[in-house]
Amino acid sequence: MDFAWTSEQESFRASVRQFIQDNLPDNWEHIAHGPASKEQSAFAKQFCGALAEAGLLVPHWPERWGGRDADPWIAFILAEEMWMAGEPRGGQYMNVNWIGPTLMLFGSEAQQERYIPPMARGETIWCQGFSEPESGSDLASLRTRAERVGDVYRINGQKIWTSYAGDADTCFLLARTSQGKGGISIFLLPMTTPGITVRDIPSIIGEGDIHEVFFDDVEVPESARLGEEGQAWEIVGKALSLERVGIPRFALASKTLADAVKLLQSRGSFGPGVAEQAAKAHAACEAARLYSYSIIDQRAKGIIAGAEASVGRFATVICERLVSEFVVEHVPEAISGAHPLLLAHHQRGIVAGIASGAAEIQLNLIATQFLELPREPR
Amino acid sequence: MDFALNDDQLAVEGALDKLAERFATSPVDFHGFALVSQELDNELEESQYFEIAAIPEMGPLSAALAVERLARLPYTAEIALSMLVRPHLDLELPRPIAVIENGRPGRYVASAKTLIVIDGDSVGIAHPTPDDVEALPDSLFAYPMGRLTGSPEVTPLPAEQAEAVRNWMRVACAAEMAGLLQAAVDATVEHISVRKQFGRPIGTFQALRHRIAECAVLTGGVRWLALKAAWSGDAGDAALAALHAQDSATRVIYDVHQMSGAMGMTLEMDLHLWTYRMKALISELGGRSGQAQAVAQHCFGASAA
Ligand SMILES: Cc1cc2nc3c(=O)[nH]c(=O)nc-3n(C[C@H](O)[C@H](O)[C@H](O)COP(=O)(O)OP(=O)(O)OC[C@H]3O[C@@H](n4cnc5c(N)ncnc54)[C@H](O)[C@@H]3O)c2cc1C
Repeated sequence: MDFAWTSEQESFRASVRQFIQDNLPDNWEHIAHGPASKEQSAFAKQFCGALAEAGLLVPHWPERWGGRDADPWIAFILAEEMWMAGEPRGGQYMNVNWIGPTLMLFGSEAQQERYIPPMARGETIWCQGFSEPESGSDLASLRTRAERVGDVYRINGQKIWTSYAGDADTCFLLARTSQGKGGISIFLLPMTTPGITVRDIPSIIGEGDIHEVFFDDVEVPESARLGEEGQAWEIVGKALSLERVGIPRFALASKTLADAVKLLQSRGSFGPGVAEQAAKAHAACEAARLYSYSIIDQRAKGIIAGAEASVGRFATVICERLVSEFVVEHVPEAISGAHPLLLAHHQRGIVAGIASGAAEIQLNLIATQFLELPREPR
Repeated sequence: MDFALNDDQLAVEGALDKLAERFATSPVDFHGFALVSQELDNELEESQYFEIAAIPEMGPLSAALAVERLARLPYTAEIALSMLVRPHLDLELPRPIAVIENGRPGRYVASAKTLIVIDGDSVGIAHPTPDDVEALPDSLFAYPMGRLTGSPEVTPLPAEQAEAVRNWMRVACAAEMAGLLQAAVDATVEHISVRKQFGRPIGTFQALRHRIAECAVLTGGVRWLALKAAWSGDAGDAALAALHAQDSATRVIYDVHQMSGAMGMTLEMDLHLWTYRMKALISELGGRSGQAQAVAQHCFGASAA
């Protein structure tokens, strides 16, 4: 057991920091508000292009796809630095983390050739069409249908809470081809296909982030299906195991806390009571950090994390909550816009326990799979 | 970073697992608080476990792993201070070691050969005679508690050593707490898996499943923070680990007792062995606000209040 970074990892982190410093504009903190504002999304395309040129967009991908086969630590260090900077990659972090790797595992050659190179060049935005109005945590109950009609699939239904859908070029869509869990299939669907309507949902998280997406007789060829019919559950399981600790939320939470503390110290408002709250939040951030690192360590050793990933996720939810509550209580003006980066953290932090699998679902998984308690009756 | 045990650490773990087997169940007729084993102490002494922090291939991290492992046992002995604090003082300190903090009763005080005497900001060392100390056999804390009755001569430690004592006491507290938390969670998982009410194991009720899952998350977090602090020896890491330990324990103790019902209130279930050890550790070094001030000082660069 060893908690030290290697010198390669340290110099990689330094180079990412340098890149960020050189490439973020002076008014970045005004762009970074709202994870998917128009300005941020526009900037992300330019920024990801530059990242790709510098070899910093997909270093952990195989050489064949524009990477250099770097280990998961490199990808995670990159993600930490990006997230701490306010995620200038915008929605493209999803491509980098799991959509690209999933296509490498399950895509046809034609799908890989069509979709992966633009991702590796940082030119394209995807969205994840999973959740539906009646299917949030209970994803397997989704109803959007993909009916086989001749040599095409005709898709009808609705997705909701879809991040980045307003800017996305392609949707990684789950739709039902028959009954049950085994009846869900994946479609790689260009968002310009006739019959798709996207509507912005105003939210606390900020402009442009979440959407409703409607599908009315949208027709796609069979070649748009990823994997076999009914293979979605297996593929998504694999994809989400890449995603589950995908976002190093603790990194931004802990930076936000440090910024808030500095601010309070500078105005002489960091008394013992405030310090105690800050200290607890800091400890929670560090616990979440170590949990996440322990899972990356497993991944680096070729072990796919099981229920430990849920334990780490929940530790992250605890730290996000403590930091966000700390800022609300002690730097309330941040919520009114006085400190854009603190506000940006707030907007990202509040969804930690909901987006990509609710906290309570993580607790269910911990109880059943990690503690091996007898199951709840159905 | 490597979160797996290396060969040396695996060897220590294997040996401790084997040793632990003999101390893994409390005697059926034991209905008390301080379940101490001199035999465990002797074994650890003979096999030189108290020296592992000083062995280069092992170091404080291996010692912390050992403290955590042994803290999961129903039997206890003076382990954490000897394994994690003593090696950082350039003094020959006979054990058992105990801490007297601002005159309060402490663990192992009545049998201690070395006392670490903390008085406000000063830290000193004393070697008490039997007349200087008194056992407190009625204490609910599941350690042998004692207090200082005499005034043995206290040799003050220079500031740097005093700081080292505080830091490593924090690491020791967190490592021991990690094991105690784990044992308490394990005992509760077992209880709620078999105890039936309303025709089903109470561990199938989501109100309890979520609660115990949260306890498990906190427990693992304390363990990582304790191990990291033992590895780095950094004052900030030590303060964070101790704070998270005391804070998590405060919550977990309440939850595991709730989930264990009246059975957890008996001296039959052993739960109290872990929870009342944790309760003793919760107040160390000023409790949570004490650790928080240390975090503020070492991590946020605030001056100590
Ligand atoms: C900012 C943001 C971005 C998102 N982006 C996307 C996206 O890009 N693509 C996408 O497909 N989805 C996206 N989502 C949706 C997200 O995946 C869902 O919100 C999530 O799965 C939870 O579903 P829900 O919101 O319907 O909540 P529900 O499932 O209705 O849950 C509400 C509450 O009930 C609890 N609950 C539900 N079932 C149980 C149970 N069995 N036991 C105990 N408690 C339970 C939940 O834990 C939660 O506390 C996003 C959400 C947010 C907030």
